[in-house]
Amino acid sequence: QIVDPFQVLVAANKAVHLHRIGKMKTRTLYTEVIFNLSPNNNISDALKKFGVSDSDTAVLIVLIVDTEKPDNLEEVVSQVEGQQVSLDELPQLTDIEKVKKIYKITPQEEKIGTLLDSIVCRMATKDVL
Amino acid sequence: PPPLPGLQLVQQGAEACVFRGRFLGREAVAKLRVPKLYRHPALEERLSRRRTAQEARALLRCRRAGIPAPVVYFVDYVTNCIYLEDIMGAVAVRDHIESVQQRGGDTSSLLLLGEKLGALLARLHDEDLIHGDLTTANILLRPPVEKLDLVLIDLGLSFVSGLPEDKGVDLYVLEKVFLSVHAETETVFETLLKTYAATSKKSGPVIKKLDEVRLRGRKRSMIG
Repeated sequence: QIVDPFQVLVAANKAVHLHRIGKMKTRTLYTEVIFNLSPNNNISDALKKFGVSDSDTAVLIVLIVDTEKPDNLEEVVSQVEGQQVSLDELPQLTDIEKVKKIYKITPQEEKIGTLLDSIVCRMATKDVL
Repeated sequence: PPPLPGLQLVQQGAEACVFRGRFLGREAVAKLRVPKLYRHPALEERLSRRRTAQEARALLRCRRAGIPAPVVYFVDYVTNCIYLEDIMGAVAVRDHIESVQQRGGDTSSLLLLGEKLGALLARLHDEDLIHGDLTTANILLRPPVEKLDLVLIDLGLSFVSGLPEDKGVDLYVLEKVFLSVHAETETVFETLLKTYAATSKKSGPVIKKLDEVRLRGRKRSMIG
């Protein structure tokens, strides 16, 4: 469901921001990131659609680190049974049509910007609706 | 000021300060609402937040409807700051008109601009969206400018309304801008209205209201 790393950055940024001010909607930082990726405000739906499920063949791992504490990237990666590929391959791993359905992208929208634009806009403004 | 690398102040308006910088690796604009110190702090906080939220909502509505407007990247409700897409190299319609006129005016291109504007506003109003502050400084042209690719900005005063009165006023504000800021642009605005009337399905009552508002305007004698 990810079309570009920027999409994840935006979700993570919002999660960290809300975490800092104690206003997260979910209970942990990482579920908050997953929740922020969703176009709606239903937490369980978000976890279902954007969280890892048994049928998934590819997984994107997000690590949020404090600049003070060292990151344990290798530790996390070693726990994954699979082949690590470059982020450049992301477009090939994503089902664009499915993404458009999940985010309910209108045909008019496709004319004024990229899919990423529509997605990020929804992610950033869904809490004001 | 927003915590953005490469930060620089672009403009200070009455409502907000606009900054440019990089947000998560992208060129972005940060619009920070200026706190009005003469207001009661509790009121100020609520009002600021409401305006910020309204603007964010309006930008999403435009996007959903296919009306070109900047993408919202992030809204900070603590500082009431909106982080938006920075349209690189964009020129405000106001500056474009001025430069075309200075160069010795290729008025046919300005008429085409009028058509594009009319079509854009027709689409906006058909979605029952009112811009609220339609000036030539609030409409941008994406580069290359010749393509006349328009983008609406500054939706801080926008709202939803189906009333022809509100749409008429929206157009009236723009007309005033054309007549007072830009010399000899009556034909441009006429072209705008023609295209608007042709494109919009609900334009009839709107044009009527526009005429009424024109008559109402300032320094008009209402002898009755």
